[in-house]
Amino acid sequence: MSVRDLKGSGRHWVLAGCLAWLAFSLFPLYWVAITSFKSPVDVVGGPTYLPFVDFQPTLTAWRDLFSGIRGEFFSNFWSSTIVALSSAVIATTIGSMAAYSLVRFTFRVRLLSGVAFFVIAMGGYLLGRDVFGVSPALASIVSFCLALALSIFVNRFRLPGPVLGNDDIVFWFVSQRLFPPIVVAFALFLLYTEMGKFGFRMTDTYFGLTLAYVAFSLPIVIWLMRDFIASLPLDVEEAAMVDNVPTWRIFFGIVLPMSKPGLIATFVITLAFVWNEFLFALFLTNSKWQTLPILVAGQNSQRGDEWWAISAAALVAIIPMVLIAGLLGRMMRSGLLTGAVK
Amino acid sequence: MTREDPVKHFFLWPAVLVVLAIAIFPLIFSLANSFMSLRLVPPIPARFVGFDNYIKLLGDERFWQVVRTTSLIAFTSVALQFVLGFSIALALVKKVKGADFFRVTFLLPMLVTPVAVALVAKQILNPTMGPLNQITSFFGFSNLPYLTDANWALGSLIAVEIWQWTPFIILLLLAGLQGLPDDVYEAAELENASPWQQFWGITFPMMLPISAAVVFIRIVESFKIIDTVFVMTGGGPGISTETLSLFAYQEGFKKFNLGYTSALSFVFLFVVLIMSLIYLAILKPYLEKYK
Amino acid sequence: MKKYLYSSAAIIALAMTTSSASAACSPDYTGVEITATTQTGPYIASALSMAAEGWTEKTCGTVKVVEFPWSELYPKIVTTLTSGDDAFDVVAFAPAWAPDFTPYLSEMPVKYQEGEDWLDIAPVYREALMVWKGKILSQTMDGDVHTYTYRIDLFEDEANKTAFKGKYGYDLAIPKSWKEYLDIAEFFQNNVDGVWGTAEAFRRGGQQFWFFFSHAAAYTSHPDHPGSMFFDPDTMKAQINNPGWVRGLEEYIRASKLAPPAALNFSFGEVNAAFAGGQVAQSIGWGDTGVIGADPKQSKVAGNVGSAVLPSANEVWNYTTGKWDKFDEILNTPFMAFGGWQAAVPSSSSKQEAAWDFISYLTSPEVSGQAAVTGGTGVNPYRISHTTNLERWATIFSDREAAEYLGAQQASVTADNVALDMRLPGYFSYTEILEIELSKALAGDVTPQAALDKVAVEWDNLTETFGQESQLEAYRASMGLPAK
Repeated sequence: MSVRDLKGSGRHWVLAGCLAWLAFSLFPLYWVAITSFKSPVDVVGGPTYLPFVDFQPTLTAWRDLFSGIRGEFFSNFWSSTIVALSSAVIATTIGSMAAYSLVRFTFRVRLLSGVAFFVIAMGGYLLGRDVFGVSPALASIVSFCLALALSIFVNRFRLPGPVLGNDDIVFWFVSQRLFPPIVVAFALFLLYTEMGKFGFRMTDTYFGLTLAYVAFSLPIVIWLMRDFIASLPLDVEEAAMVDNVPTWRIFFGIVLPMSKPGLIATFVITLAFVWNEFLFALFLTNSKWQTLPILVAGQNSQRGDEWWAISAAALVAIIPMVLIAGLLGRMMRSGLLTGAVK
Repeated sequence: MTREDPVKHFFLWPAVLVVLAIAIFPLIFSLANSFMSLRLVPPIPARFVGFDNYIKLLGDERFWQVVRTTSLIAFTSVALQFVLGFSIALALVKKVKGADFFRVTFLLPMLVTPVAVALVAKQILNPTMGPLNQITSFFGFSNLPYLTDANWALGSLIAVEIWQWTPFIILLLLAGLQGLPDDVYEAAELENASPWQQFWGITFPMMLPISAAVVFIRIVESFKIIDTVFVMTGGGPGISTETLSLFAYQEGFKKFNLGYTSALSFVFLFVVLIMSLIYLAILKPYLEKYK
Repeated sequence: MKKYLYSSAAIIALAMTTSSASAACSPDYTGVEITATTQTGPYIASALSMAAEGWTEKTCGTVKVVEFPWSELYPKIVTTLTSGDDAFDVVAFAPAWAPDFTPYLSEMPVKYQEGEDWLDIAPVYREALMVWKGKILSQTMDGDVHTYTYRIDLFEDEANKTAFKGKYGYDLAIPKSWKEYLDIAEFFQNNVDGVWGTAEAFRRGGQQFWFFFSHAAAYTSHPDHPGSMFFDPDTMKAQINNPGWVRGLEEYIRASKLAPPAALNFSFGEVNAAFAGGQVAQSIGWGDTGVIGADPKQSKVAGNVGSAVLPSANEVWNYTTGKWDKFDEILNTPFMAFGGWQAAVPSSSSKQEAAWDFISYLTSPEVSGQAAVTGGTGVNPYRISHTTNLERWATIFSDREAAEYLGAQQASVTADNVALDMRLPGYFSYTEILEIELSKALAGDVTPQAALDKVAVEWDNLTETFGQESQLEAYRASMGLPAK
C-alpha cells in the first residue's frame, strides 16, 4: 500500500463520484448499443430502454451495415485500420525523437533565416506559377527545396535579430494545429491534385493520406512527449553518457522505456485522432482509401436520420479503439513499476 | 541540461521536414488567396484586392459574434474538463475501488468519432424519441429547449464537449501523476500534512507543467469545434451557436468564397496565436518556479 | 442420314453460340469501369447499385459507386470538377447545384433525346429542370415535389369530425387552403390528446427553407407572371420580401407552434419520424413521408397514410400591380421542392460515352419503375409510366393509400401552375442568409417583415457581386423563360 492511497471516510465519496461519472460516460454508449438493435418502429415511437423488455432486438441495422448498401463498410474499415496504425506508429516514433532532441540538445535558429525561408518559398511559388508559367506542383517543389537550402546556409552567418531556441521550435510545431482544418484540407487537396497532374499521384493513396496525418499529429506528439521526457530523472542518462553509450542507444534503450506511461498515452491519443479524423479523409480520398468516419457521417442522410444505422456504424467504429485502449491500459498500469527502476 | 552532439539533427529533422513540407503549402496558398477576391462558384476570375477581405471581416458583426461564441464554449468546457479530469485522475491514482475497471471505461467517450457523438447527443436530446426528456419529465422538467433556445443550446454543446474530452485530460494527468516520486509524499506524511495540504503543496505544483500543456492543447482544439455544432444545431438559432470553424466551413465550402475564407483563417490563426502567447507568458513564472 | 443430323446439329450449335455472343455486351464496354458518385446510401446510391448490376450484365462494363455524406457531397463535387480531376464519370446531384456545375458538364448525346422513353418523362422535368440555356446537361433520375400527408384514422374518427365541425363550422377533410391546414393543425394540437397538429422542418441546415417556399408558393407564384416567384424576371430584384412572401412566413411560423415540442430543431428526417411514430395528424414534405409511413416495418401508422396535393390559396400577390389578385377557386400551386436528383457526366471524364449509356439505362422506364417501388432507393416518380401502374405499389401501400399517393404525385407534377424551385449560381450564398433570418424569425427575435427585408437586401447585394447580367440570364434559364 503506497503512501498515496486513499484513506478514511472520504473513500466512499470518491467512489460515489466515480460511479456517477461512469453512469454519465457510459449511458450514451449503452444507448447507442441498444439502438443499433432496435427496429425503426421502436426508435420513432418513443424511448425504449431494455432489450426484450421494452422492445424486441433485431439485426436489421447490422445486416444493412455489413451488406454495403450504406457505404462500403469493409473497405472503409480496412483503410481506417491501416492508415491509423501506421500514422500513429510513425508519428509517435519520429515525434518522440524530435521531442527528445528538443529537451536534451540546444538548437539555434535565427529568426531572419526562418523569415527568409518563408519569403523565398512564397516568392518562388508565386513567381514560378504566375511569371514563368510553370505548373504549381513544379513551382512549389523547386521553391521549397531552394528555400530550405538557402535558409540553412544563411543560418550559419551571424545575422541580426533574435535567435529562436528550443521552446520556440516547439511552439512552431504546435502552431501548425491552430489553423482551421478545413482550409488546410482544401489546400492539401489542391496540392495533391497538382502533384497528380505532375505525374505523382497523391489523392486517394495510402502515401498521401498517411503523410498528411503524420504531419498533423506530430505537433501533439512533440508537445506532449517533451513534457514527459523533461520530467524524467537525468542521472540514468548521465551514467550512460559517462560510459560513452551512443545517443541513439540511450534514447531507445533508456529514455523510451522510462517514459512508457506518457508514450503510451500519446500513442493512444494520436491513434484516436487519426481513426476519428474526418475532414482530411473527406478531401484527400475518394473510393480506394475512404475511412470509417465518412461512413458514419454518411448515415446522417438527407431524408431521414436513421438512428439505428447511425448507432450500428458508430459502434463498429468504436470497438477496435476499445480493444486497443484496454490493451494499452494494462501496459500503462505496469508503468507504475518503472518509476521504481531508478 | 543540454549538450552538443551532431546526432541531434538526425533526431529532429525527420519531424521538421515532414511538417514543413505538408504545412507550408496550405499556409502560402491561403496567405496568397487572402489578398484576392477568389470565388470558385460562380466562376469569377480572381482579382487582387489587397486588404479588403480583412477589413470586411473585421467589420462584420457576425465574425465578432462567432469569436465570442467560440471563446465561450472553449474556455468554459475546458475549465470544467480540467477540474473534473484532475479529480478523477487523482481518484484513479489513489486506487479507488475498481480503479482498473474505471481506467479503461473512462477512456471510451474520447474514442468515439466526433460526428457520431454529435448524432447520438442529438438523439438523446430529442424530446419525443430520446431518453433525456422522459427522465427529466419524471422529475417535473419536461420539454426543456435543449437545442432550440440559444443559451440552452450553448449549454448542451458544452456538456457534449465535456463528455467527450474529459477522458483526454484524465489519460494524460494520470500518466503524469503516475510519474510523481513517492519520497516527497513520505516526507509530508511524516510531518502530518493533511491530504488537502499535500495536494496544494505538492501534487498540484508538480503537475503544473503537464497540466499547462494539456489545458493548452484542449483549448486550441476546442477552438476548432465544428462537427458537434454542425449536427446538433446547424449554428442556429440564427447564428447564436455558430463557431469559427463552422463559419469558415460555410464561407469556404458552401459558398466557396475562398478569398474571404483565407482571410478568416489568418485572423483565426492570429487570434489563437495571441491567446496562446498570453497563456504561456502568464504561466511561465509559475513553471520556472516549480521546475 | 447421320451426316445430315450431325451437320445440322453443328449448324444449330454454331448459330446459338454466335447469337449468344452478340447478345452479350451490347454496346460492348468490356473492361470499362465508370465511377459514379452520390450521397451515402441507401437513398439514390442503392438505385445506382441496382442499375449497375443490370448494366454490367447488359454491356460487360462495371460501375463503381462512391458515396459521400450528404452535406459534403456538394463541396466534394465542386472541388473535383473545378480542379479538373477525372475521378468521377457520373455525378448524381441536387438540381439546385446545377448552375454551379454547368460549366463543367458534358451535353447529353442527341440520340437519347427522342422517342417514347423521352416523352414518357414528365414535361416539367424534360422541358424545364433538365434544360440549361437550351442544352440538356443532366438527366432526372428522381422526382421531387412537396405534397401533403394526413392520418386517415384521425380524420375519419366520428368524435373528431363532430368536434371540428362544431368549432370551425366546416367539415374535417383534406385542406384545400393554407387557412384550413392551420385550422386543422390547431384543432389537433389543442383538442385531441396524444397527437400534435403538424410536422414540418424548421431547423437551420435541416431543409427548412423548402418548407417555407412551399408555404409561400401559393401566394407568390402568379399564373400570369411565370418565373416571378423569387426575383423580378426583368430586373433581377429580389421578390422575397413582398407581401405574398410575408404571408407565407407568418403561416410557416404559426405552423411551428402547432407542432411537437422542439419542432424548431426538426429536419425532414424528424418530420418522417414524427409522422411514422404517430405523433402528428398532418405533415408536408417529400414523398418519402408517405412511403415510410406506410411501411409496417418502419411505422406505427401503416395503413392510415393519406396523401394529397399541397394546400394552396385563392389569392396571389401581383408584383406588377402591387395588389392581391383574388380568384374564385383555389388555385392549385404545388411546389417542386428540391426538384429531384439529376445524373450528369462531367466533361473531364474520359469515359463519357459509357457514362451516358449507363445513365440512360438507369433512367429507362423499366429500371427506374422498379426502383420507384423499391423502398430505400429514394427514387420518387418522375415518369408518367411510374404513376400509372398501381400494381407495383400494392406491395407497400394499401389500395387507398396507393391511389391517394400516386394521385397526389401526379397531380402535383402536372398542375398548370406548378412552381419551380430556385436554382442559381452561388446558390448556397443566397440560401445561407435566408436560413439565418428564417431561424431568427422562428425564434421570435425579429418580425417576419424585418427578416425578409434583410434577406432581400442581402440577395440584391449578392446579385451585384456575382454580376447582375449573368445572374438574370441564369435565373430566366432556370425558370424556363426565354432569354431577353
